[in-house]
Amino acid sequence: MSEYLKPLPEPSIDSQPFWDGLKEGRLLLQTCSDCGTVRHYPRPMCEKCQSMECHWTEATGRGQLYTWTETHHPFHFGFKGELPYILATVELDEGVRIQTQLLGGAKVGDLRVGTPIEVVLDRATDEWVLPYVRLVK
Amino acid sequence: MTLSSVSDIDASQPKHLADKYAIAGIGETAYLRGSNRTTRSMATEAISKAMADAGMKASDVDGMLSYSSGDSTFSPFIAGDLGIRLNFYMDVFGGGSSTEALIGIAIGVIEAGMCKTVAIFRSMNGFSQVRIGGTGARSAVPVKGDEMHSRAYGWQAAGQMFAPTFMRHMYDYGTTPEQVAMVKVTHSQHAARNPKAYYKTPVTVDDVLSSRFIVKPLHLLDCCVETDNANCLIITRAERARDHADRPQALIRSVVGRACKPRIDMHYQHGPISTVAGHYAKEILWPNAGLGPEDVDVTGAYDAFTFTSMLQLEDYGFCKKGEGGDYVSNGTIRLGGKRPNNTAGGHLCEGYTHGINMVIENVRQLRGEVDDTCPIGPDGKRIHTHDYSDSGTCRAVKDVNVTANLGWAMPGTGSAMVMVKG
Repeated sequence: MSEYLKPLPEPSIDSQPFWDGLKEGRLLLQTCSDCGTVRHYPRPMCEKCQSMECHWTEATGRGQLYTWTETHHPFHFGFKGELPYILATVELDEGVRIQTQLLGGAKVGDLRVGTPIEVVLDRATDEWVLPYVRLVK
Repeated sequence: MTLSSVSDIDASQPKHLADKYAIAGIGETAYLRGSNRTTRSMATEAISKAMADAGMKASDVDGMLSYSSGDSTFSPFIAGDLGIRLNFYMDVFGGGSSTEALIGIAIGVIEAGMCKTVAIFRSMNGFSQVRIGGTGARSAVPVKGDEMHSRAYGWQAAGQMFAPTFMRHMYDYGTTPEQVAMVKVTHSQHAARNPKAYYKTPVTVDDVLSSRFIVKPLHLLDCCVETDNANCLIITRAERARDHADRPQALIRSVVGRACKPRIDMHYQHGPISTVAGHYAKEILWPNAGLGPEDVDVTGAYDAFTFTSMLQLEDYGFCKKGEGGDYVSNGTIRLGGKRPNNTAGGHLCEGYTHGINMVIENVRQLRGEVDDTCPIGPDGKRIHTHDYSDSGTCRAVKDVNVTANLGWAMPGTGSAMVMVKG
């Protein structure tokens, strides 16, 4: 595998299960064990009921576009070869929003709020699998 | 996910400090790209100038506040260089929206008897050292903490983090790139009358729209300038300000600091992202000021990008929700309009200071001490023509009694201040 130049996550104790899930091919969302509220990104407390007990549930990987932009400027050298690229905020069917990159050659002019998307997992390095999204075909 | 319950903000805090404090002194260095100076050197110059402006000497200043992102010099070094012995200081982390928040803190510590007069400064080499736009060294820092849920996918610069809010505003309300381009056009016309502005050449809507995309829908000319500079404000009780300088004073009527949307670590998770922190901050700002947007003569709405001014003017109530695009493009915000914004050119044209130069400009407007390109009279002061036509030279607004500063950290966090002439 060629050298990976983009930033890579540094997991915390709170987020480790999320990253471990990706390596197993699953997008896991943190779920409050007391009131059932799903939250993302991973963090220690449920903001609804202040419970610190949680478990992890596998997401359907389906959702809708909430907003997006297209980056044309190389802020980071690791992304230079991909310009322009689309950054998307996506509302998953589970009710949480994630920020990631929209892959698959979508054109910004074709995008609409509510456009259906699906999560795709992409192996970045031997150690890392990262979640992206693409339009539902 | 539902919005946290914050609809019952108590805006009934005592108003007895209104007009009791003043911005007694203002100071600034040149706005440059390539200062060839340390932040320590620039900070001492800006504070020294602010002290001279306030009619104060080193023994009159005993408090200091600064803000930075690890790209400045801390107060103990600066105070020592100026011969100031401190009774209070604090150097806080943060960028935009710190200015007004620190003014509130300064009032609080003086009121608590901890010190008498506070110098607030921001010194930064935002072009030549830590580039504010997020390129260079600032982009290569390791991913830490919860940034990992965005940076790994290519989200990191301010433009990338803020533009989705503008995108969604366009979608929800029909706001157009042409409308927000008018913010740059207007500020460039203001800057043309400011000898200290970094960019003094007026631009057109076509210039903005034909500049290259940075983060679509943002063009290069929708983004602020990156500059090297230091600014200072001196805060003290109004009567003390008057004791040191006989002039109309910029009195602090109302201040709100770093008011937040719910869950600002991830504000785009919650509710409509086309709403910004001013939606909440205004519930403190206006009641405490005892006046409203319609009473304001001049605004300083933070223009990190063209659309940040628009979003704030809208959510602070200068127009109806969704009508910000019209407000910034219908002539209201230009010199000669009903309520000019960023009359020195703002961050888009004068220089980038994380908000403090916009407060300085409003102090000048309230005092009637704007340094524009009008002719100089026999007493050494500008003879303001109030000619705001394209060939005019004036940026002093006539009869300014009330100003508002709207400071922006990001869509989820804002600060604001109302000043009055007194």
